[in-house]
This record gives sequence, structure tokens and C-alpha cells, in this order.
Amino acid sequence: MKPSWVRQLRALLLKDLRLELRTRDTVAAMILFAVAAMVIFQFGFGTRDTDLTRFAGGLLWVTLALTAVLGVGRTYVAEREQRVLDGLLAAPVPRLVLLGAKALAIVAYLLVVEVIAVPLVGVFFIKDGPWLGDLPLIFLVCLLADVGIGILGTLFASLALFTRARELLLPVLFLPALVPVVIAASGATHAVAGVPNDMAEYRGYCLFLGAYAVVFALVAYATYEAVFDD
Amino acid sequence: MAEGECLGILGPNGAGKSTLLRMLATLLRPDAGALSVGGHALPERAGRARGLIGYMGHDPLLYLDLTAWQNLELFADLYGVPRPRERIADMLREVGLLPRAHDAVRTLSRGMAQRLGLARLLLHRPSLLLLDEPHASLDAPGAALLDRVLAEARGAQTVVLVTHDLERVLPIAGRVLVLRAGRAVLSAGTAGVDPAAFRAEYEALVA
Amino acid sequence: MIERLRGRGLAISGALALVLTTLAVIGVFFVAPEDADQGIIQKIFYFHVAIAITSLIAFAVAFVAGLRYLWTRDERADEVGSIAIGLGLLFSVLVVLTGSIWAKASWGTWWVWGDARLVTYLIVILIYAAYFVLRSSADGDRRMRYSAIYAVAGFASVPLSFYSVRVAQSFVHPVVFTRNGAEMPGSMLIWFVVSQAAFLAIFTTFLLLEMRQRRADRALRRLKLRLEAAGSGV
Repeated sequence: MKPSWVRQLRALLLKDLRLELRTRDTVAAMILFAVAAMVIFQFGFGTRDTDLTRFAGGLLWVTLALTAVLGVGRTYVAEREQRVLDGLLAAPVPRLVLLGAKALAIVAYLLVVEVIAVPLVGVFFIKDGPWLGDLPLIFLVCLLADVGIGILGTLFASLALFTRARELLLPVLFLPALVPVVIAASGATHAVAGVPNDMAEYRGYCLFLGAYAVVFALVAYATYEAVFDD
Repeated sequence: MAEGECLGILGPNGAGKSTLLRMLATLLRPDAGALSVGGHALPERAGRARGLIGYMGHDPLLYLDLTAWQNLELFADLYGVPRPRERIADMLREVGLLPRAHDAVRTLSRGMAQRLGLARLLLHRPSLLLLDEPHASLDAPGAALLDRVLAEARGAQTVVLVTHDLERVLPIAGRVLVLRAGRAVLSAGTAGVDPAAFRAEYEALVA
Repeated sequence: MIERLRGRGLAISGALALVLTTLAVIGVFFVAPEDADQGIIQKIFYFHVAIAITSLIAFAVAFVAGLRYLWTRDERADEVGSIAIGLGLLFSVLVVLTGSIWAKASWGTWWVWGDARLVTYLIVILIYAAYFVLRSSADGDRRMRYSAIYAVAGFASVPLSFYSVRVAQSFVHPVVFTRNGAEMPGSMLIWFVVSQAAFLAIFTTFLLLEMRQRRADRALRRLKLRLEAAGSGV
């Protein structure tokens, strides 16, 4: 009987989420890291009194990009430490499903971090103008960006998995490729973070984020077979 | 190999026994030559073949931070096992771990974890069993269980067993293959073979 | 072993490169009219853009080679890819250097963040330098597979990076090729084309040269091993 890929995807995603709930390492570290980064930015860019309102969008996404690198680096930690990868690879799971499940897990972790980080950025850095009403718009940006980050992150994490110095390699591979995401996501956030909202800009940037996700989904689709093909 | 046959693979360390097994398990791609499992050529039709194979390596292939039940649930879903809840309960009962079903694997002893690994191995009723030194690190109930599994497999499932233990494999396997430094140096049936004589021959071959 | 036919290809490419480069240098510096605003520094522009386009072509070659490797597992594809990216990286560094010189001459600073092309090439350098970090962290079959995958992903990053950088800032860099064609008078355009052809020829020459070099290295090593085996086996 051929197992349904939906069932497999669900099972793999559930596995990662359950593991994370049990150990709570990754998401907790990501949140702490994000908050610490914000503090550093405030003092890196000025003193306690400096107004960073117009940089809020950028700050958010620089923080999230770095946090994402941290989180993606932990993607395969359970499989590595416990040597379970063979079990997954020997099963009749299409490699695309394996990668897809990991990507979805990363999206999930990032969303959790964003639920905390986004309001925090508003509180810390946006001095004037209401921003609470814009939160749904910003979360849409988060979702779009997260998908692209998840896909690309999973691909690169899979490449780094069997290499020497993988903790160093992953940021080196990942960060340059994240530049477009940071630019577009911070642009979109900036367009709606203050008053007035520039919806044309917002739409443009969101479209770009969607294109980014599609491009790397295509790249992943073209190359996924070779990733685990020892 | 014929269906239902049992093949033992012997050889000194580094001879390539585990590598060969991993190739059969579709985890590695051979550089040359042809392999096929259940009529599916590897590595092209590996996906189809995987559902038929049960592989147990040196590691139990389990997530330490999930419970026994959750581990089996994962693999049941990956292999598309029908009526998973029943099957998982049955397997846990067979390996004697039903009372610990909802404990994290990390809390189980090594022997218990290996038994759980056996449950994982057999969960999807594979027609081909690939076992890499299964007797190592099994506790007494586990070893008895394994022997029962191997006995039941005779004729019904195909088994390839990698081991160091000559004496153990001779009664179980119908044929043995001896590897040395990546090459096969002997392939022989075990019917009527005298263990002592075989050991002498084996020692000579791998010296 | 060392193939005559390939050698001829190299010779042709080399000769072409030499001729075109000489032509380009003469043309750019002595024949093409001097730009009214920027003077002689503007000449660097001919090379700057030509090198930039050539490096993009190099990365495209690596992209195709990567796909080919993933499809056929042909080791030569891996080799072509790694050499092409090496050359592309070298050219990218030259793009940034020439661009920086031009920026200094035009605007007085060595670096302008508002220059979309320059910034993109900085990112490109990071992306493809990472390629070599990846290669040195893996061996054998994995190295080739991972390099191929990354060559594909990296090339996809380039247009995304360029577009996002461009959109993020207002232009400082004058756009030369508009939708209707180049915004240059014919007298300048011809030397630009010659310069471009010259760099393409240079790229091809170095690519073929390096491949030939590696092949010769391998043949030499094989010969050595054979000699050693013959010598010791007696």
C-alpha cells in the first residue's frame, strides 16, 4: 500500500513540533536571541534617547533573519544526535516530503518568535503613530517571508548536514541569500508600520516575497533528489 | 536471493558488510553493479522498494525524546500502516513494552530501546529484513524475541543478517557470504556444514 | 590524454582574446570620444560593464553545469562549474573594484550604498565565496552534489538580490541600457561591444586553459602512479 504523502507530511511535522514542545530548546533560544538583538540595536545605533522609529521595520527583519539562521541551524539536531536519519531515509518517504515538513516546522518556529518580536518592536521602537491596527498586515509579511526562509533554510541546512564545520557553514551560505528577504520584508513593514500606510509599496514588497518563495521552491524541487542521495 | 531465504554476511571489521546492507536498504548508492529488491531496481525505483524493507542498523533509529508510542506512530504513518493504533499496540505487546508505551525512549534501558527498535522494524510487515549485528546490545528477552522473529521469518520473509557471530548464524542462515576488504571471498550453503570446520576455513580466509 | 582538438579550441579562443583585448584597449583609450562630464575615468566604464556581464554569464554557465551534474553525475560538469564560479568570482571582485574607482572619480567616495549594481555585486561575491567554503567542507561525491545544488540556488539568488536592492534605494548609478536600447552614441557603443567580446573571449580562454591544466595534472598523476607501481612491482 502506498502511504499518502499528506499522512507522512503530517506525521513528520508533528514529530518536529512534539520534539520541540518536549525539549523547548530551539524556540526559547530564538526568542531570547531576538530580544537581546533588539537591545543591542538600540545601543548600537545610539544612546538610550535615540529615536529609531523609522528603522523599526529594518530592525525587526535584521533580528528575524539572524534568529532564523539560529533556528535553521537546529533543524536536524535530533536526527544528528540520535542517528535517526537512516530511519527516515529508509522509509518510503519522498525526499520532497521530508524537506517540506522541515520547512513547515521552521515556519512554525518563526511565527512563534514573531508573535513576540513584532509587538515588542512596536513597543520598543515606534515612538509615535499607532501601529496596533497594522499588526495583521505585518503578520502577512511575516508569513510570506517565513515561507521563503523555511524553504531556503531547509535546503541549506540539508547541505550543511554532512559537512565539516556545519555550524559555520550554514550562516555563510544562508545570510547572503537572505538579503532580498530582509530588504523586501523590512520595506513592506516600513510601509505600514507608521502613519500613513503606503499600500502600493506594501503590495509590491509582498509580491516580491511571494516571488522569492516561489523561486526557491522551484530550486528545491529541481535539486531535492540529490540532497540525500548518497 | 530467493524469497524466504536467509543470508548471513560475515567478515572482519571494515570489510564492507554494513555498507552492503545500507546499499540494500537504499541508503547508499552503489558505484557500480546492479541491485534490485522485490523486482524494483535500485537506485531508480528505490522509493517503491523502501516499503518492503525493514532495516535495523547499529542504532535503534528512534527519537529519544518522543515516547515509544509516538515513535511507532511516526513510522506507522511513514510506512502507511493500516489501522495503526491496533498494530502499534500489538507490536508493543509483543516486545513487552506496552506498560512503558507512553514513556520517553530516553528513559528506557538500552535493551528496551533495542526491543522497541525491533517493534519499529516489524511494524510495517516488511518482506525483506536487513539486520546489522542485531544480537549486539539486546537484552535477554530481546534476544529471545529476535530468535523467534528469525524462526518465524523462515520461508515467509527474506532475511539478510550481518554478524560477527559465526556460531549463531550457521543454524539460522541458509547461505553465508564472507566479505573481506570490500570483496566477497566465499559464498556457500550451510546445509550440513560442521561449525568447527567452517570456523577454521573462515579464519584462514580473513587472516 | 591531452587532446589535440581541445588544444585547438584553446588556441583559437586565446588568439581571439588577445586580438579583441588589444582592439578594445586601443579603441577605448584612443579612438572612442571622451565623455564631456567625466573625462578619462569614464573609459573604465567600458570594462566595468563588460566584466559585470561576463561574470553573470560565468555564473549562468555554472548554473547549467550544476543542473547537468545533477542530471548526469558527469564529473566534468562539476569541474566546469567550479572553474566558472572561480572566474565569475574573480570578475565580480573586479566589477566592485572598477565600480569603486569610478565612484570615487564621479562622486568622491569609494563606496556608494545607493549604487544598486555595486551593492548587488557585493552580495554576489558573498554568495559565491560561500560556494568555495561549501566545497572545502565536503569530499568526493557529496562535494560535487552539494556544489551543484548550491550553484543552482546561488544563481537564483542573483536576480532576486539585484531586484530587491534596486527597489530598495533610489538610483545613483546611471542606467546605460534602457528599454529602447543603449543610451550611448554609436561611436561609444561599438567599443563597448568590442570590450564585451574581449572579456567573453578572456573568460572562455581561462576556462578552457584551466580545464586543460587539470586534465594534464590528472594524467601526470596517473602516469606517476603507474611508474611507481611498475617500479615496485618487479
